[in-house]
Amino acid sequence: MTQQVLSGLGVGLEAVTAEVFRVRQAEPLPIPAKHSGDIDAEQAKLRKAVDEVSSELESLAEKAGETSAEIFEALGMILLDESLFDSAVAQLDDGWEAGTAFVNAMETFAELLSGDPTFEERIADIRDLAKRVAANIHGIFLGLDLPETGKFVIVGEDFSPADTAQFTSAVVGVITIQGGPTSHTAIICRSKSIPAVVSCSGAKELKDGQMVLVDPVGDRVVIGGTAADATKAISFVAKSTEPVIPVRSNIGSLEDAVAAAATAAEGVGLFRTELLYLSATTEPTIERQIQSYTEILTACPEGPIVVRTIDAGSDKPVPFLKMPDEENPALGVRGFRLVRDHREFIVSQLEALEEARKASGREVWVMAPMVATAAEAKEFASLAKAAGQFKVGIMVETPSIVYEISKLKGVVDFISVGTNDLSQYLFASDRMNPNLGAMLNPWQPALIASLNQIAIESKKAGIYSGVCGESGSDPAFAVVLAGMGYDSVSSSRSQVGAVRTALSSVTHDEAREVFEAAISGHDSDEAKSLALTKLGEIAK
Amino acid sequence: MSTVTATVTIEDPIGFHARPAGQIVKLVKESGLEIRMGKVGGNLVKANSPLGLMAMKGKTGEELTVEVDTEDEAQAQAIIDQIQQFLKG
Repeated sequence: MTQQVLSGLGVGLEAVTAEVFRVRQAEPLPIPAKHSGDIDAEQAKLRKAVDEVSSELESLAEKAGETSAEIFEALGMILLDESLFDSAVAQLDDGWEAGTAFVNAMETFAELLSGDPTFEERIADIRDLAKRVAANIHGIFLGLDLPETGKFVIVGEDFSPADTAQFTSAVVGVITIQGGPTSHTAIICRSKSIPAVVSCSGAKELKDGQMVLVDPVGDRVVIGGTAADATKAISFVAKSTEPVIPVRSNIGSLEDAVAAAATAAEGVGLFRTELLYLSATTEPTIERQIQSYTEILTACPEGPIVVRTIDAGSDKPVPFLKMPDEENPALGVRGFRLVRDHREFIVSQLEALEEARKASGREVWVMAPMVATAAEAKEFASLAKAAGQFKVGIMVETPSIVYEISKLKGVVDFISVGTNDLSQYLFASDRMNPNLGAMLNPWQPALIASLNQIAIESKKAGIYSGVCGESGSDPAFAVVLAGMGYDSVSSSRSQVGAVRTALSSVTHDEAREVFEAAISGHDSDEAKSLALTKLGEIAK
Repeated sequence: MSTVTATVTIEDPIGFHARPAGQIVKLVKESGLEIRMGKVGGNLVKANSPLGLMAMKGKTGEELTVEVDTEDEAQAQAIIDQIQQFLKG
């Protein structure tokens, strides 16, 4: 059988061979229409559709966890609301066909509820319910319909968080036509250890039932390939018990902290605090914050814990902070810029962290996200030092701050590079734009050069430097970072072991050689392959 | 048929949102009785409609009238107590 190779960007270290399962794209709903005159038939259609969607919701509720089950139950009751059905019947009398009638009826209620922040999310939910009913009436397929058994490599344009939540155990590999290494799909596949190749435009040609090899290490998909064709990952063999630089873990919740403590992580290099607030509709009290932080800090793996203050923006809104819509949320009021309107909130976060630090007895470092100037860094440092006994730092993720690192001497104790956002701003490439995935490859020469400059400047200014972006989860890239002179890396929890092994397989001088090989590359592919070749030589 | 009338208070910090509305509708349906609710002094709606209850946009601290059509005062009181419980969040 002839083999055909499709290139993309690999996620993960293991290869897998399985049958292609193409995900059908959701079709649009038909435009509003009138019925042919048989009101009784339309009403029967509507009743049947409502009942069927109601049982779909019940089965979703069974699959979902306890908290979501309650939401599905509430939605189920709304769906069966008699006044809603009566109002849809009135629409039938006006001549609208069943699907349109139900959408219109629901819209009347949605309008009644609108303008009240308590119901914002519910309005989206109930509109979605009406859509499901209309889709059912017209025989339109709306969501993912993944096989539950067997083994499949699923192929699609890109997958949203709602899609990836439905991945079944039959999904053993993932290929996306769009999306980059920091896309949601990539992040989920990495954390669930599902081999994936993203940004693979050739995947458009794949057909259901074809056998493919998903070869993430080779950044490719091989049609007709077998396990024997898989590119071997460099098998790092630890030469010492300790990595050349410490490997910390990224966390966002208590569950993460508990799971990270079970890995070999040395402390936490990035604690994303916004997850504690994104679902809160009212500002949590200081007592509540202290309690959450104390629980999490206590559970963290041994070592310092680097806490990032709230990183929200209009694309990642915190309901109680009331963020107006912005044309370009990535370039808007986000991260530490919230200090303009919400200084008290950031201060309360720092104060809660100080109480939690005392209660847990842990070493806590705090840092602010999205700092663009040395003046902002100074402002954060004074807030943080007034609030508690922390080591104080900033995230380096805007190109502008790179030019001011020398001015941070004596102002901050440490910096931590967020490579995902740094790439986005350095390459003027929206992280969320699935067509630009290749720009966000950490092996891009300009990113490597920028990271190198940050390491050099930090060292000159006597500032501790670390990396906490996705690139620190790539074992080979972590060696490059150590070679540049970074003091630590922080990885996603599932990658801590692999990154630690890679960093234990080299000396400082060898890591330096790997970095020098990478920085001589003329494009991302060359940079990566030069680094891997050097690593291969060192391993011999 | 006589009607038992009482006043309850929304104590849930989020207001009268989807979850308590769902809980009340479930209770009303199980009771098989006609129960109406609304803001004190305002229009009452049948409490078997979650959308109708949510559309009141009840806020924390507001008082609601509850009317239960039944001869059984003890049952009515039990239902009203339960509704007050749901509105505590």
